Amino acid sequence: MADLLLQQSKAPPQPHRKPFVPWLQRRYTLELRQQLGWLQQLVIFVVSVLVGLLISGVILVAAGVSPHDILNEFVVQTFTDPQNLRAVLFQAAPMVMVGLAAAMAFRARFWNLGLEGQMVCGAIGATFVSLHEIGPPGLRLWLMAACALLGGLVWVVAPVLMKLRLGINEIISSLMLNYVAANFLLHLLYGSWKDPKDAFPYSPKFQPFERLPDLLDGFSSAILLAAVVAVAAWWFVDKSRAGLYLRFVHSNQRVADAVGVPVRRMVLGAVLLSGALAGLAGFMVAAGQEGRLTQAFYNGYGFSGILIAFLARNNPLAASAVAVLVATLFVAGRSLQVFYQIPFSMVQLIQAILVICVASSDFFIRHRLRAVGSKA
Amino acid sequence: MDLLTNWLGNMPGFAIPYALAALGLIVSERAGVLSLGAEGLMLVGALVGVGVQLAVHEPAIALLGSMAAAAVVSILFAVMVVWLRVNQVIAGLALVFFCQGLTGLVGSLMGWTNMPVTGLQNLDLGPLVQLPLVGRLFRQNTLVYLTPCIFGLVVWRLNHSLSGLRLRAVGENPQAADAAGIPVLRTRFLAILAGSALVGLAGGYISVVSTKLWIAGMTGGRGWIAVGLVIFARWSPWRAFVGALLFGCIEALIPQMAAAGISLPQYFVLMTPYLVTLGVMVWVALAGKGSDQTPGALGEPFLREERR
Repeated sequence: MADLLLQQSKAPPQPHRKPFVPWLQRRYTLELRQQLGWLQQLVIFVVSVLVGLLISGVILVAAGVSPHDILNEFVVQTFTDPQNLRAVLFQAAPMVMVGLAAAMAFRARFWNLGLEGQMVCGAIGATFVSLHEIGPPGLRLWLMAACALLGGLVWVVAPVLMKLRLGINEIISSLMLNYVAANFLLHLLYGSWKDPKDAFPYSPKFQPFERLPDLLDGFSSAILLAAVVAVAAWWFVDKSRAGLYLRFVHSNQRVADAVGVPVRRMVLGAVLLSGALAGLAGFMVAAGQEGRLTQAFYNGYGFSGILIAFLARNNPLAASAVAVLVATLFVAGRSLQVFYQIPFSMVQLIQAILVICVASSDFFIRHRLRAVGSKA
Repeated sequence: MDLLTNWLGNMPGFAIPYALAALGLIVSERAGVLSLGAEGLMLVGALVGVGVQLAVHEPAIALLGSMAAAAVVSILFAVMVVWLRVNQVIAGLALVFFCQGLTGLVGSLMGWTNMPVTGLQNLDLGPLVQLPLVGRLFRQNTLVYLTPCIFGLVVWRLNHSLSGLRLRAVGENPQAADAAGIPVLRTRFLAILAGSALVGLAGGYISVVSTKLWIAGMTGGRGWIAVGLVIFARWSPWRAFVGALLFGCIEALIPQMAAAGISLPQYFVLMTPYLVTLGVMVWVALAGKGSDQTPGALGEPFLREERR
């Protein structure tokens, strides 16, 4: 045996040269990759985002916006004009919250598609406190936030219990509750909560102390709150024991269960937290942006949250960064709507294209093509 | 009595979109592809149906157009889940939002929003329509009569033809199907296209036949309800048909109650289809396993080189 090995190693290395076969004439096979370096992963990610933006740009040009204007609206205006930067951060606060909410649920492998409904319920909870003037003015804002947390949480209880107890698909159940919440919102806005001052379907204005105050220079405190929550969420998933358990649950539920991780409790907790965060996002829209209960939830916040969590790989800090970029998209989309009559659904389309490109690019991270001989 | 015939006469109009969409979903899901994109594909079907109808004024061509358009858009989904092996939930969601954005954009850029079209008219069955009391039941359009035929055809293809057997084999156990020489990826690709065409027809029905105009986001969650309906039907086409009729009955009841003078808070009434979907899913879960036709490999991408 040893002789054999020795002989083999002694044999002179044969020059390994195959005849060159043109690329298209080779036969390819697909195989799974074990691991790809982070740099290559990053390159693939960035390229896919750029491809997505390029496609979106082409669509915008086809819709009648000149390339120069696109660059101006999306890049120059946003980062040079402080007014616009303020608008972006203003928009970013609820985005960060829905992104975190989606990431929390996804970490427990729960497709929480009911983020919009939970936002609506959070906003309804906050408005309830405001309309009934519960608590002293100094505490009012905190009470509203607490009630919003509770509202969002209540709205996710049914889907998560149905999933854990009965094995019901949470995608459908949480989505159905979006429509229920939306109709309930309309019921309130066209009914008992309508502002008596005019005929529009929104609630009476919140009082000044019921709104998220401005910090220095006109930056809303909502973004500060969002940043604090993001850091807390990062601590939770990265440093705490529960976060470690959640990673167990995410990678393999059965193994997690076998080694004694309280899987059901972890899923329940993460999903309830997700609902509560979405409720807080609703509070930020109502008490931060609108100053009253309106129908401002129909801009596809739910999908934006999923997009943010997906692009950030469920990492809270990355989610915050992505949320700011999505907020940029929203702000630019609104000015496109005003100045170029491009409907706001363009923003939705761009987001979907980005998800499609990045999701498809995962293919190149997880697989590789290998040439095996020639076709002939 | 008048109320009853009116109710039952209106019912097919509400039930057909659910039935066709659920059938389309069953076709692709029996091949093992979880299709969450129905809501988006219905929107595409609805938009293109109205667009074609505005151009050629021929409802049959409009409905064919909505089928073709949904099939074309679903190529994107098929490439993602079949070739690129993207997570089918992510791909389905992305497809829904892609279609919502696209239809909103195209609809408003082309100026098709709120443009009334003639649409598909009711079929004149002569003496049957003139019958007292039950005459209302026969005032239906061609597609209502065609739908059971479509169901029969698809069920026959699925259960009694070689291509149907292959489709089910691919959805049940792609590894075994592959070993038996069935082209797994091609079968799934075609199943997605065929199923999506049916979903597109359902969308076309909503815009070209029912409302006779296009409004952005007009499907209002019907695609998602159809996804729930498929779960309720446990992937059996005829059970989906019955479920669709049930949903049609419930939705048709809403305007009838208003006509009968029963006043209910409007927005609570509008919630009922979604709440019924939830209730039905709970009921199915509690009722436990009947004859179950859940595809074994639903939602699993296939790669021959992957070891299991």
